[in-house]
Amino acid sequence: MNPHDEHVQQMTRRHFFKESQAGIGAMALASLLSGESKADVDPLTPKKPAGIAKAKNVIYLHLTGSPPHLDLYDYKPELVKRNGQDCPDAFLKGKRFAFTTGVPKLLGTPRKFAQHGQGGVWLSDALPNLSTVADDLCVIKSMHTDQFNHAPAELLLYTGSPRAGRPSMGSWITYGLGTENENLPGFVVLISSGVQPNGGKSSFGSGFLPSVYQGVQCRSKGDPVLYASDPAGMDRSTRRMSLDALRDLNEIQGRELGHPETTTRIAQYELAFRMQTAVPEVMDITREPKFLLDEYGAQPGASSFANNCLLARRLVENGVRYVQLFDWGWDFHGTNPNEGLTDGLTKKAATMDKPIAALIKDLKSRGLLDETLIICGGEFGRTPFREGRTAASATLGRDHFPDCYSMFLAGAGIKGGFTHGESDELGFSVARDPVHVHDLQATILHLLGIDHKQLTFRSQGRDFRLTDVFGTIVKPILS
Amino acid sequence: MKALHITTVALYAIVTVYGASAAEPTPARTIDFNREIRPILSNACFTCHGPDRGARKGLAVPLRLDTEEGARADLGDHAAIVPGKPDESEALRRISSEDLSERMPPPKSGKKLSAHEVELLKTWVEQGAPYAKHWAYVKAIRPELPKLQNTDRARNPLDHFVLARLEAEGLKPAPEAEKAALIRRVTLDLTGLPPTLEEVDSFLSDQAPNAYEQLVDRLLSKPAYGEYQAQLWLDQARYADSAGYADDPARTIWGYRDYVIRSFNANKHFDQFTIEQMAGDLLPNPTDEQLIATAFHRNTLTNNEGGTNDEEFRNVAVVDRVNTTMSVWMGTTIACSQCHDHKYDPLKQSEYFGLFAIFNNTEDADRTDERPILSIYTQAQSKRRIELLNEIGKLAADLKDAPREITPDTSRDQFAKITKELADLKPSTTVPIFREQPTTARRKTQIQRRGNFMDLGDEVAEGVPAIFPPLSADAPRDRLALARWLVSADNPLTARVLANRTWEQLFGIGIVATSDDFGIQGDLPSHPELLDWLATELISDEWNLKRFLRTLVTSATYRQNSKVTPESYKHDPDNRLLARGPRFRMSAETIRDQALAVSGLLSPTLFGPPVKPPQPAMGLSAAFGSGTDWETSPGTDKFRRGLYTTWRRSNPYPSMATFDAPSREVCTIRRTRTNTPLQALVTLNDPVYLEAAQALARKIDGGAANSLERVRLGFRLVLARQPNEEEASRLVQLYESTRTALASDIVKAKSLATVPIGEAPANRDIVDLAAWTVVANVLLNLDETLMKR
Repeated sequence: MNPHDEHVQQMTRRHFFKESQAGIGAMALASLLSGESKADVDPLTPKKPAGIAKAKNVIYLHLTGSPPHLDLYDYKPELVKRNGQDCPDAFLKGKRFAFTTGVPKLLGTPRKFAQHGQGGVWLSDALPNLSTVADDLCVIKSMHTDQFNHAPAELLLYTGSPRAGRPSMGSWITYGLGTENENLPGFVVLISSGVQPNGGKSSFGSGFLPSVYQGVQCRSKGDPVLYASDPAGMDRSTRRMSLDALRDLNEIQGRELGHPETTTRIAQYELAFRMQTAVPEVMDITREPKFLLDEYGAQPGASSFANNCLLARRLVENGVRYVQLFDWGWDFHGTNPNEGLTDGLTKKAATMDKPIAALIKDLKSRGLLDETLIICGGEFGRTPFREGRTAASATLGRDHFPDCYSMFLAGAGIKGGFTHGESDELGFSVARDPVHVHDLQATILHLLGIDHKQLTFRSQGRDFRLTDVFGTIVKPILS
Repeated sequence: MKALHITTVALYAIVTVYGASAAEPTPARTIDFNREIRPILSNACFTCHGPDRGARKGLAVPLRLDTEEGARADLGDHAAIVPGKPDESEALRRISSEDLSERMPPPKSGKKLSAHEVELLKTWVEQGAPYAKHWAYVKAIRPELPKLQNTDRARNPLDHFVLARLEAEGLKPAPEAEKAALIRRVTLDLTGLPPTLEEVDSFLSDQAPNAYEQLVDRLLSKPAYGEYQAQLWLDQARYADSAGYADDPARTIWGYRDYVIRSFNANKHFDQFTIEQMAGDLLPNPTDEQLIATAFHRNTLTNNEGGTNDEEFRNVAVVDRVNTTMSVWMGTTIACSQCHDHKYDPLKQSEYFGLFAIFNNTEDADRTDERPILSIYTQAQSKRRIELLNEIGKLAADLKDAPREITPDTSRDQFAKITKELADLKPSTTVPIFREQPTTARRKTQIQRRGNFMDLGDEVAEGVPAIFPPLSADAPRDRLALARWLVSADNPLTARVLANRTWEQLFGIGIVATSDDFGIQGDLPSHPELLDWLATELISDEWNLKRFLRTLVTSATYRQNSKVTPESYKHDPDNRLLARGPRFRMSAETIRDQALAVSGLLSPTLFGPPVKPPQPAMGLSAAFGSGTDWETSPGTDKFRRGLYTTWRRSNPYPSMATFDAPSREVCTIRRTRTNTPLQALVTLNDPVYLEAAQALARKIDGGAANSLERVRLGFRLVLARQPNEEEASRLVQLYESTRTALASDIVKAKSLATVPIGEAPANRDIVDLAAWTVVANVLLNLDETLMKR
């Protein structure tokens, strides 16, 4: 990194820690300029947050397209009662929908709902396995967002702005906290069902933060991290010989010109060499016992959501700070049977219900659930009425809906068996305790010990933050 | 402490290290408002007491501190600032108050003034609390050359400014770089490619006193010059080969990229270049070239996702055009004023929409087919089209005049035939362009409350912010007027911003470090007079870019060597004082181009559709879109320069993205430069770089008599200079040890020497080639190779 950028980073990170409430790490200007300590060289060195951190790691499970929350989490008996009736005018006035015009019909869920666990969390019959860990779940039924098209809504959720160009949540978090295992990337992205997120790489990009904070996409086939394998014919000992020569030559250069960046580069090549071993190891799920693979429904060699859930556990266990999963196929318009609320949802929900329940149990049995925050949801919700285009078909589906929806959290710092917020009786608006996506972001940072107002980076004259100029911590869900 | 403030602080530290106590407030010294006071007020106060009316706070009356009137206003029985009377100035009382409930800035804001800052403010009030217009909003005047004690090192006027500062700091400039380092540096800086061995040899043996200047002139006339300058400009233009958002479909707009290359190579002056891109369609009888230029602002995203409102995303595109124009030309971060008055700079929301109105009447409207588009024909095609059109006209007239029964069949057949030929004549490419709405369908512009296109306020007329000079009164207030205003001699910013960005391109950091922000929150220039000299030079030289670059690279400042001592580095890590030559990591494209060039693989082809070099398969699709994997381009197209690589916004080419190439969804004024282990994996293992190493190995292996000479050859091919003895012997040792290791495993050796490049030439030893591949791979990964030296 060039000295200026490196400086910028050091100073801003230090600003964050110095000025944040606990006042950790006030450093003298002299040491700011010296650039000598380890923290100055490696931007991913783990850093202690200013606040009290209940969570050390995050696993964010994104269901791309947005699942039908009214058929999974938010049970609306009144809506069932009025199934098929015209949607009341009051709910449509002044609203825009992606694929619905005119007066749509109300759609009560075709799913069976029941309360589970001590906490009595409502879940539908599409989630039989999650029902067994209901007391670990915290369902928020009062989520809302500003966007009703996929790409802008996803960018708003992950970057705080509906337009491309800002850093994503994982980038902010690794910028703020570094990562525990320098031999692995600090922010890993795993994608299943064959399609990348709606925001493209910007949903896990670093925006104006240095690219060292961007999400590293790991593959289940081929090199898990791009270019991690040595070329055909070059074994580890040859690679070692060549890196020894490279280091010696760079040291000669470093002596002659005296630039510290040369020293940094030597270190980065050594780190790359270790990463070449560490990444394939952590990504190799054949090292897991068969019963556990079965528990998740994971199969070595597949690129499934189940495999990725298991990998997420392996990654946080090995010190990766933030793991982001994206799973395609949750856009339940009802335009084909796979997107229908009956059999389609049963099939799709099974692919996430089983592995997420297994992940929660697995983390718990290893004592990792106490330090790992799990979040699961889409970029918005789905309408309480039938989608306009498919109103006459046999397949039930719902349109995009930003005004009120549900998602769930579990793990570190979160109240289990808890339901927060409420929608109105038909599910059209938040009735109690609204939670905007900026509030969710503020809460995630808070759980990691970060004050969302203090984690800033200056770009084009302005101090940007993940929560833009918004965000309130959702205290009732904190344990 | 905020990111942008850092360099100011660093500079301040330099001043205190070298320049004794110049920055200590003493009554004898006059406080400089722009340099010393406004940054404090801006950081600590303007959020609540600045230009944004909506956010302004105060006890009885809202207080503003960004203007002199505001600061002195009668607030009842007191005023925030009473000139000359610190004890009566309420603002000073509040910033030093022990009572936390009245302390300013409020503790809960997280902002805090240091004792030194409080002291500075007090001294400033004692001195009468004078305000001054922000430096960047005052037109640059040509400064006198500073007097030097020693003029020996000055080669041209700009050196005087640099040397004067060094003399004041008690520092000496570094000696001129060695010739081999210099030719590599300047060739990379002007063409984005390394010099060939022949060019190095001829420069080294050229004893003419102006050998270097002649080299510069040769470089400026190479086609590669235009390619490289275009590559830099395309970040500003947020040029990409896809439309953006979820499905991110392919967009055909490479004709614009080629326009940029041609413009730089033809040395189109920057004022003309500006006018064409901003408003080529509004010029009288615009040429195709001038229409293609307007694609600059058709590089905005188009949202093709199902269920989107085209008007919503048309508005988003217009917002992007306003923001990009103000960023690229004027270093002004106006984006904040889309939703509210700017927090720091004197830019009102209504003024934002004045600019918006100028861009609000083009025909494009977030359409999937990108209309309006221009069809571009080759010269031969254009000629034929004119012939056909003439003939059709003639025949049509004949057929119309003559009664049907006497019209010969042949005429009718002929008519049908040429009409078909015309229809079949498909354009070589198309480019989305700007076209103004017809007068009957003008859109009116209203303020959009909180930036929401459906929540509309007062109607706003076309105009520019009042802090800047007005638009010309004798012309319509349209894009053409805006373009001329941007490059008018009265505009205080454009020339400074361009000069600064060009400086940054060569020195790694601008005279204003925040090249993307010349506003109140931006950094102050390290050499204000130098910046103004350069800006006025640009204007008086009619925006001649080649001449401007020539001035910069022939300066003594640029030609210094880049060595540092631990002490000098510690005092000035960013080289703001310019006591040495530039040294920083090259861009993603240059690193790639260099590897291909030194190994002899680089395709010299210019222009044309984007190409697809090898990239790893991900097995994914874009959301609602096509697969992200691609078939590698056939033939030598996979070896084209990086700027021709297909730029899909949702999937930037991975090896370049790892080296900080942006996605180009929005305009990037300045790339960051990082140094990461993932970059090491790219240049070590990416098949593109491996193939370059294999090709380089074949050149080395066949190019000299013994291993030492081969090492020297390889080293010079990559780095232009001779290796020293230690370096050469270490590389020979690497060759020998890998050769020994590989000799026992021919299968491995064969893979290493031939996959992916292909079969080795018949008379070569496969183990040798494999060992030289390892050596070449190391050469391509040297710190020095990745850096400009």
